[in-house]
Amino acid sequence: MALPARDPDARARLAELGGRARPVVLARDRALDVPGSLSELLPDGLVRGSVAVVDGVPGSGATSVALTLCAAATGVGEWAAAVDLEGTLGGEAAAAAGVALDRFVVARRVPPARWATTVDVLLDGMSLVVGEVPRHLRVGDARRLEARTRERGGVLVALTGPASRWPAGATARLRVEGGPWPGLGAGHGLLSSRSPQVRVADHGTRERVGVLAG
Amino acid sequence: MSSPAERTLGVWCPDWPVVVARRDDPSRDDQPVAIVEPGPHGRVVRAASSEARVEGVRRGLRRREAEARCPGLVVLDADLAAEARAFEVVARATEAITPGIVLDRPGTLTFPTRGPSRYFGGDDGLSQRVLDAVAGVGVPDARVGVADGPFAAGLAARAAPSGGSHVVAPGDTPSFLAPWPVAVLEADDLTSLLTELGLWCLGDFARLPRAAVIARFGPTGARAHRLAQGLDEHVAPPAPPPPELVETCELDPPATRFEEAAFAAKGLADRLLERLAALGLTCTQVVVEAETEHGEQLTRRWRHEGALTATALVTRVRWQLDGWLSGHTETEDDGVTAGLTIVRLAPDQLIPATGRQLGFWGGDAAAGDRADRAITRLQAAHGPDAVVAVVPCGGRTPAERVRWVPWGEPRDDPVGVERPSWPGAVPGPVPARVFEPRLPVALLDRDGAPVTVSGRGEASAEPARLVGGPLGTATVVAWAGPWAQDVRWWDRVCRRRRALWQVVARGETTDVACLVVVEAGEAGIEAIYD
Repeated sequence: MALPARDPDARARLAELGGRARPVVLARDRALDVPGSLSELLPDGLVRGSVAVVDGVPGSGATSVALTLCAAATGVGEWAAAVDLEGTLGGEAAAAAGVALDRFVVARRVPPARWATTVDVLLDGMSLVVGEVPRHLRVGDARRLEARTRERGGVLVALTGPASRWPAGATARLRVEGGPWPGLGAGHGLLSSRSPQVRVADHGTRERVGVLAG
Repeated sequence: MSSPAERTLGVWCPDWPVVVARRDDPSRDDQPVAIVEPGPHGRVVRAASSEARVEGVRRGLRRREAEARCPGLVVLDADLAAEARAFEVVARATEAITPGIVLDRPGTLTFPTRGPSRYFGGDDGLSQRVLDAVAGVGVPDARVGVADGPFAAGLAARAAPSGGSHVVAPGDTPSFLAPWPVAVLEADDLTSLLTELGLWCLGDFARLPRAAVIARFGPTGARAHRLAQGLDEHVAPPAPPPPELVETCELDPPATRFEEAAFAAKGLADRLLERLAALGLTCTQVVVEAETEHGEQLTRRWRHEGALTATALVTRVRWQLDGWLSGHTETEDDGVTAGLTIVRLAPDQLIPATGRQLGFWGGDAAAGDRADRAITRLQAAHGPDAVVAVVPCGGRTPAERVRWVPWGEPRDDPVGVERPSWPGAVPGPVPARVFEPRLPVALLDRDGAPVTVSGRGEASAEPARLVGGPLGTATVVAWAGPWAQDVRWWDRVCRRRRALWQVVARGETTDVACLVVVEAGEAGIEAIYD
């Protein structure tokens, strides 16, 4: 029995037509828009093909900022991934931050030796990868990932803490500095959401300060 | 064009999920039992025992309502894998009669009767033979129906008495189908619409002109219309697949655990569907074949209403491999004696693919494929656990409220369903860092003594300092609690008592809010609001 095989010529012609009719890529299409209060801090969004560093001590709100960026990617139908070192990323917090869980994967408890390759592979498939930077990340690995990000047109969010740093270049550096926690008193009340203060420095412009509305 | 459907015998084991649940725990034999599965709005009943049905528990009922109608109802979560595993025994018993059996879902199977019926002396003789074989493996109340086409055969089995058979004479299938309600078509959107239009039974629907049905209801409606008329489900008779479409995977070392084989099979299933999609085809049956180290050959055929999607196919292959690799303890004679060396997937009953629309410029589907490839690469290198999905579930503390499921495995819970919060769940914002196991700390009062919580949930003193953890020694500036929790107090083994505190400690640069749990005299940070 003959199978209804597709006509390769027709396919090629369609692809060519598609290429011609495809809309021009504007500068704003090369960036990933950031929703909500972060858009005041990152008015141009996250530039595709670049690294953004989110830095903060534990408890400052850095993880929440990183998850908000994941939500920005999944919100427009793209995929996001997170690489955490000790399996401490809160899954429920991802959902609460607005991440679409059917387009969000997590590589948990990644040993530092495997960290760079894992991020590398994920950058191949995802639009945005949040990587919790291990201690003593080699400069060579970081530069390779930076080049990889540029090549694949993804966004790498390097999440650093007091013990780690991102040893290569980055387009945007977000420093999350925490803030007071409202709602809780001495033995009464309940914790309510807070708005951590975020400082953004991207090259060429002066530093901006804002908050991540909770 | 309108070929009459092939003469088919259907076996139906009523309430199969209940039968399996009772087999696991014989104490449920005389209790009303309901099996629930997650639906779009919470858990709904999938199957109920006869005791529960007498009280008004029906399929599709919300769990809470089922419990209200039948106090004392034992509600169990559906375990499709266990059902499939148990059904493997029935499939093997039937396979001794004819090799051409097709599994539909756990609890029902069909096979074409043309050969075996003549051999065993007609449809009645064959039915009796099948009933004896199935009763021989401990399912005495199975029912058998013979009619034209698998759909009608399944309904004929429903019309049969318990442990008996119902044979619809050749050619009588349309009149047999006519009085059945349209709900048996199992196409929810379509049947509710038909009912609203006043078409209550299959006969009414079947009388509509064919062109009008296609114009109004599209391919789904046309398929249902053909079923209602007792015709073959597909316009063109499905074609046998060419041998080059068979996907094979050799397992080295042989897989003795079902997870290993299932993981390999996932890749096979993806490749198979990719190749079929490139040809514009899809299949309604798939043959799962395996060979073991000792040269045993295992074959089983699975059918699926509509065409098989990737997840549906992978689920069926998983069930089958699970049945082969875990089922050999029950029957000694035809179990698997060694690990699987080859897994093969062959599509059967090919039909043109009509149902899937890809994005115009590749769009979402292309992004999904790209992501899938990256995930598969990581899982292939470091095991299925290397990449996981977040599945929210019920619980009180942040660690309990989420499950991490290897990407690609069934999540059991539909994504995006708003779930009711648990009584006693930790209120407020959701912490972004969760520690399992907890970070040991000391919660001290003003005098430096550990803060303890009494059995009545009262604290010995106000917390003043938090020592250990990420902050070193920090002053507690605000707190709430303790909230005492008695977890699973009805279970002597798993019972745990714990007390929760929300604590804000002043660090060097910022205030850190954390959730501190005191259990068995030990304090630990369960989560940090980061």
